[in-house]
Amino acid sequence: MPSKLTAGSFAPHQLLPFLQQQSQGSLTRLYQRPSSCLSIFRLLSPLERQLVMNMLWLESPIPSSTMSAWVNKDGKKLYDAALSSLSQIHIISNPLSKLNLNPTFKSSLRQAITGGGEHRSFGVPSEKDEKRGPTTVESLDAYAVERWETILHYMVTSGTGQAPTKPSQGVLYLLQRSGLMATIGGGSLQITSAGFQFLLHSPHTQLWDLLLQYLHMAEERQMDLVEVLSFLFMLSTMELGRDYSTENLSETQKAMLEDLRDYGLIWQRKASSRRFNPTRLATTLTSSLPPLPSSSRSGSASQAQGFIILETNYRLYAYTDNPLQTAVLNLFVTLKSRFPNMVVGSITRESVKKALANGITADQIISYLTTHAHPQMRKNTPLLPVTVQDQIRLWELEKNRLKSQEGYLYTAFASQADYEFVLKYAKQLNVVLWENGAKRSFFGSMEGHANIRGFIERRTGAGG
Amino acid sequence: MSDFAVEPSSHMSVILDLTPAQWYLSSLPKNEYPLSFRSFLSQTLAFLNSHLASKHENTLAVYGALPGKSVILYSSTDSSVGQDETVADANSYQPFKTVDSVVASQITDELDALGDSDEEAPCQLVGALTKALCHINRIMNPNFTTGASDAPQPTREPRIIILSVSPDLSTSYIPIMNSIFSAQKLKVTIDVCKIFGPDAVFLQQAAHLTGGSYIYLERRDAYLQHLMMTFLSPRSVRGILAVPTQEKIDFRAACFCHKTIVDIGFVCSVCLSIFCQPVPVCSTCRTKFPMKTLQRLNASRPSFPPQPVVRSMSAARTPTTSTPPGTRTPSVSNHHADRTTSISSSASAKVNGSSSVAVGNGMTP
Repeated sequence: MPSKLTAGSFAPHQLLPFLQQQSQGSLTRLYQRPSSCLSIFRLLSPLERQLVMNMLWLESPIPSSTMSAWVNKDGKKLYDAALSSLSQIHIISNPLSKLNLNPTFKSSLRQAITGGGEHRSFGVPSEKDEKRGPTTVESLDAYAVERWETILHYMVTSGTGQAPTKPSQGVLYLLQRSGLMATIGGGSLQITSAGFQFLLHSPHTQLWDLLLQYLHMAEERQMDLVEVLSFLFMLSTMELGRDYSTENLSETQKAMLEDLRDYGLIWQRKASSRRFNPTRLATTLTSSLPPLPSSSRSGSASQAQGFIILETNYRLYAYTDNPLQTAVLNLFVTLKSRFPNMVVGSITRESVKKALANGITADQIISYLTTHAHPQMRKNTPLLPVTVQDQIRLWELEKNRLKSQEGYLYTAFASQADYEFVLKYAKQLNVVLWENGAKRSFFGSMEGHANIRGFIERRTGAGG
Repeated sequence: MSDFAVEPSSHMSVILDLTPAQWYLSSLPKNEYPLSFRSFLSQTLAFLNSHLASKHENTLAVYGALPGKSVILYSSTDSSVGQDETVADANSYQPFKTVDSVVASQITDELDALGDSDEEAPCQLVGALTKALCHINRIMNPNFTTGASDAPQPTREPRIIILSVSPDLSTSYIPIMNSIFSAQKLKVTIDVCKIFGPDAVFLQQAAHLTGGSYIYLERRDAYLQHLMMTFLSPRSVRGILAVPTQEKIDFRAACFCHKTIVDIGFVCSVCLSIFCQPVPVCSTCRTKFPMKTLQRLNASRPSFPPQPVVRSMSAARTPTTSTPPGTRTPSVSNHHADRTTSISSSASAKVNGSSSVAVGNGMTP
């Protein structure tokens, strides 16, 4: 999620545009569950949340003029934007005269905050399992990391001749459906340029990208979207390390268990088990905490702190033993040597050009390097060496040296006067892209052609 | 796509004033809007949950200021404080349920433990305030001694909210001022909601000096709505949605000798200690003042009894610790005559009849 700290305005969450497309009826059904309301509330921007809270405990609608009196002069634009986006997902009924929360949303969010009711929307905890001990958070984390990295690793190594563990059919279908991978020439699955870009995103963005695709797919599979969404929201409010019972789930949600197990959001002992555990991927869906535990395989918290050191001579040292991270680096770095705890490589013209050809942009490379920079690098200002940053951008510009434009070449003019007369007319239209007086020819763009042809025809017609 | 340019999480420390006597007075039906402790607690808990609901990473600490002692009731960052194993149920969000049950049970335990003699003791607001500041300092600078502090930390926006019912305790003037200065240094905002009782002079100053807001709750039936609209928003949102701040602040100080809030004070020219009457020797820095000065000062004191205290004065007035420029001149002219400590009341304060601390500045001995 590309969020910027600019005076309380943040990029909206990826899910909100999807919610805006839903009908008012299905959203109201979704708002019947307090857990969904709480999760959606957390996805809103800070100002939107404050507005909702201002109105949550009011019994009667509040006149718009009263509410807007609370807004500073500078905040007027943000305030209007917040109101309109709230009304787009039908949390506010009518932003024109009087402001009021959607009554369903209001009562559900109140219930979420004060507790009580009989909605059972925060997940039914299962009885203590006497035979086996409780599931530890560590084992859940390990499971989630293993699942998630299997997917990413499969993507990054596809087409390189290696044979990594294949994720399940459901995942493969989803990857193909979302355009992250495609079958090329009827052969095996290959990663697409969208897939390469996806690999450089933060785990949180990746997760929501996939879940959004899952939601689109659920629509096509005639699954009840309200059930699907409310199950995801329920997972996000669950507690890590607690067992939950499957008994209260609807049929749709039971079917989802299997899919989410493949993505690593849910852990179950057996497919037929009557209890399930959400993993950290699921419980951090509505937060900005890292969805994967900070230490994956190495003992230190390398992923959270960053592991890449980049020098001004384009050499790159990455303190990692994670094959996935190495494979991602391999997308734009020429790796030279590999040690038990680190890899050494350098950024070269060839390696960057390869990445650019795959559809990765220079900005994505730079932002990946910035995000994963080693704590030692953070003492530098600017963080990455300027020479390397500039060179990566220049290499990208190299790709754009040639620019193609469609048009017509006008040549074989009878006389120099003829040529200059037509050229003058074309210049008045501002359609000349190239001209050569010696050869008596010029090149005009597509849109000017009809005019120029008409002009020449009129001239020859008048003259002849 | 950078991971750390995200909206900052915020930390909130809430200090509950748990003076039983004041809560009894507050719940009496003779009040225009009686507010019982039970209803106060349920509304406060809803407010605490709303803070936690706003963002998954938001943290919370709750302190109780009891007569004679202060305790931490709940902390979401420190699992050792009062974490009892609550049974999970499908109808409530687990973190909310934990806050509600832990805070309620801790308050019950603490109030039960109060003896009859304890109830006479003054409310330990300062203790709770300093504990809250220490806690904030710890979570703002984690692993300060180890080298890991250069890891990127999402900036928290710490604030303290004081829900006060008991009147000012003039003995706590100095510790409260010291807390305010450390809060300023830590960039902590102190918000104050005065639910019952007279306006609290020191808390007004605390809110004003730390950029928070002070609200005297008149419509106590709308307590929760006041909390939501004024105190829930983190600092980043307050730039857009204006929250009420006080127009008038009472800047009076308490004297160091009898701990009473003074309208006209006498300030030691060396260490700036405040006294309610001229003293021959400063009790703080042991500076001796000449007899002649004392006599003159005593003569210049207003003979009429102090006017009824005007509750508040304009916020634009100079705070007590700074010297009104006009009063400096006479002491300079007396430079060689004697070691005068001239203390005079500021003319403007006398003319418009409002009471203020008049600060004069003397010579250094």
